[in-house]
Amino acid sequence: MTGASGKSWPHMTSRDEFHFLSDLVFTRSSADHTMVSLHDHHAGTTRFANNQVVQNVDTRRGTLRVTVAFDGQHGTASTTDFTAGAIQDTVTRAERIARVSPVDPEYLPPPKPCELPVRETAKPETVAAGPSRRLEYANEAIGQCRMENLLAAGAVSSSMTAVGVAADNGLFGYEQQGAARFSLTVQAGDTTGWSAAAHRSIDHLRVQERTLAAIRKAKCGREVQDLPAGTYPVILEPAAVAGLWAWLLWSLDAKSYAKGVSPFAGKLGHLVVDERISLRNSPDHPDLLGDGFTREGLPSFASIWIAQGRLQQLAYDRFTAKVDGVDPIPTLDAPVLSVDGFPVASIQDLVKNVERAILVTNFWYIRPVNDRSLLLTGMTRDGTFLVEKGEIVSAVKHFRFHESPLAAFQQVEAWTHPMEAVNSETGKMLVPAMTLPRFHFSSATRF
Amino acid sequence: MSTPTWDEFAELALKRIAASGAEYGDIRIQDSHTEHIEGEDRRIASIRDIRDTGFGVRVLYHGAWGFAASSVLSLEEVPRVADLAVEIAKGSTSIALEKVRLAQEPVHRDRIVTPCRVDPFGMPLEKKTDLLMSVMDLLHRPAGVVRSRASLWARQDRKLFVSTEGSHLEFDLLAGQGECTATALHEGRFASRSFNTPHLRKGYELIEEADFMREASRVAEQAVKKVKAPLVEAGEYDLVLDPEHLSLTIHESCGHPSELDRALGYEANYAGTSFLTTEKLGTFRYGSQHVNLVADNTEPETLAATGYDDDGVSCQQWDVIRDGIFVGYCTNREVAPKIGATRSLGSNRADGWGSVPIVRIANIGLEPGSATVDQLIADVKHGIYIEGHGSYSIDQRRYNFQFGGDAFWLIENGKRTHMLRDVIYHGITPEFWNSCDGVANRSVRRRYGFITCGKGQPGQSGWMTHAASTARFRQVQVIRGAERS
Repeated sequence: MTGASGKSWPHMTSRDEFHFLSDLVFTRSSADHTMVSLHDHHAGTTRFANNQVVQNVDTRRGTLRVTVAFDGQHGTASTTDFTAGAIQDTVTRAERIARVSPVDPEYLPPPKPCELPVRETAKPETVAAGPSRRLEYANEAIGQCRMENLLAAGAVSSSMTAVGVAADNGLFGYEQQGAARFSLTVQAGDTTGWSAAAHRSIDHLRVQERTLAAIRKAKCGREVQDLPAGTYPVILEPAAVAGLWAWLLWSLDAKSYAKGVSPFAGKLGHLVVDERISLRNSPDHPDLLGDGFTREGLPSFASIWIAQGRLQQLAYDRFTAKVDGVDPIPTLDAPVLSVDGFPVASIQDLVKNVERAILVTNFWYIRPVNDRSLLLTGMTRDGTFLVEKGEIVSAVKHFRFHESPLAAFQQVEAWTHPMEAVNSETGKMLVPAMTLPRFHFSSATRF
Repeated sequence: MSTPTWDEFAELALKRIAASGAEYGDIRIQDSHTEHIEGEDRRIASIRDIRDTGFGVRVLYHGAWGFAASSVLSLEEVPRVADLAVEIAKGSTSIALEKVRLAQEPVHRDRIVTPCRVDPFGMPLEKKTDLLMSVMDLLHRPAGVVRSRASLWARQDRKLFVSTEGSHLEFDLLAGQGECTATALHEGRFASRSFNTPHLRKGYELIEEADFMREASRVAEQAVKKVKAPLVEAGEYDLVLDPEHLSLTIHESCGHPSELDRALGYEANYAGTSFLTTEKLGTFRYGSQHVNLVADNTEPETLAATGYDDDGVSCQQWDVIRDGIFVGYCTNREVAPKIGATRSLGSNRADGWGSVPIVRIANIGLEPGSATVDQLIADVKHGIYIEGHGSYSIDQRRYNFQFGGDAFWLIENGKRTHMLRDVIYHGITPEFWNSCDGVANRSVRRRYGFITCGKGQPGQSGWMTHAASTARFRQVQVIRGAERS
């Protein structure tokens, strides 16, 4: 089970093996309720900087987590050792915790068994990708940059994860997930260009296309001008839109809403952004990284969170959902943001259609400033440009912004179809690039 | 057959590396035990007991790195992973223009153990949950408090580091922390106020010495005052910053830019680079003459004081900023030679067995001055006193920063008066540190640890401690955090 099989190792924990492990846990547990979850992750990353490999790693970590409960007293223990002795020890530790824990008034037994969706997203090409495939992509990006006399820094990664959840009431879910990622920062003297991709299939990373995009950005930035801070029209590329929306999504907690300490307090059912904007969860979308089920054993499914600008849904824990009578509990693992109406075909078309605006490639270090208004701050990064009369005129020194997505997205002037958006601080989403009439930059930096 | 010892596993891995022709290799075997108890709104929401065991093998082959790791510690897996690390390193040589050359380091054989008076894992769980429940009761006592959180965290790391150079280092390290937060609601606004012990390498005595009950009552009262406090007026203020607040300012605006790998471009694609480029070393005026920032990975109880780093380099103390001038980076054995250093300063750390070590911020602290806190405040006509951590953000080269805080008091004519809310200050790093005109004496020096410092791809969480005494900064731009400014 844990590597003694020699030649075939490392294989991911299979469905049958997870069944065996969870049954072993249930046999050893004396608790009223027992749940087991599996996260068996095998990932490799090739990292490069200054046009050469600086780090090349491969890690395999299998984790089994056991939660037990006696009359509302619960405890959780986990292990990375899947031998019978370690599993017995893990059950014992979880039980010892549960027996002395105060009764949790919000404890709920494991969800009732149901058919959990299985999204077998472990694409063979991603599973088979190893260090040599990652080096091939790194080499491609570096080679392109070298030809242009530019410096490449980036990362190529591929991973495979076996995920499982099981309870002693018969609940059982298991799926295998694959993912590949590529990101590149191209340095042209003092300026940078950036591009990134994430996909279930390593074949869909479009490394050459992304590399050329980052190179174009870096070269566009060779002439940089100082602009004063202030409120400008902006064209936000998808990564920048995703950076702002990620914080909006993370603020949808239903318990905070109920206690009045949410930026959405009192706004359920009300207009929160432009009435043409909708937000959906689409876990089956082939270009997103949707899951079959949550760690708690709840199915992930398609749902609508914001419809024509109105907030339709909150992010529920199981207890608050029960109090509010929400069943099933919607998940938000594969977000798609869209704008009704007539999109333009590309970001270039957004540029062509503005008189004067700041084009933002990406944001960096976004953090909340005020939880009530969802006022955020952060910096522009890796390609910020002044657009005048439909053309990029020059790069501009990076700005700090002070803006709430609840204010900024009140009015969208122009937009594209939803496009893939990945950045270093959020997961993957599909979002349009957008032109917004007003966006507040509070200060500028030195480069 | 008996289970092999960690030394036997290490020997197995190093033999494979040596046979491959690699010039260097090491193995780290680690067993981490974490206990995390979290309370929320007068209930214990979760208690997690986490065991994380595995090993990582690092190989330098013809000047290029390979690293492989696994959670399966077995006679079959150790050689497989060692061979994989060699294979990866050989692959890396194809895109290694400049060969890695490690700075020399003496061979060390040692055992490091965190001194501990009260074993946090031996303390009965009921005592800990009772403490958190009592703390949350106190947090909810003042009218207006609507949410509470309280938590305790402890971690033990048993680790073995063995290198092909002959170093053999055993570690048995502890760390702990506790905290609580009250959130108050008033006229649709809400505000939180927190107390936390520092993260320190101490036993449960850290929690026992903290007087959580008194602190819980204090922060609950202050949460209510904070939410009702007047909104700050934007403008220029003198700031008096407490040690906990300064720990974050130091971390972001001095710690990160002093990482040499960032200055050399290694982190250009993620965490960013640094305005402290190598030609500035020894000449650049980073701060005023009052600013002395010292890296000290030897100070007992601090997070980076582990005896040796994950290069097997002994922990050291050095100047980063001396009399306001930038004079030192945080380095490892790979990057130190790139600025002509003959020895690493020992700041190479991984966040566990599954991660490759990278340059990390050391325990960088602001050296005490000679003033008292009262003297610093007495000389302020129009200022703000700031405690604790709040909103924070900084550009990727660490120039343009913005910080909030956990609590703010207006200073008028030399006196700390009433609380304010939604204070945000911003500036440019060297300008800010050059506006420092006073640091309080050693009697008010405090240490705060960080365990979630994000860097690297795949992402890792770095650990380090920043110490400071209260300090004063003149004419800093303050804006309102309640609205677009």
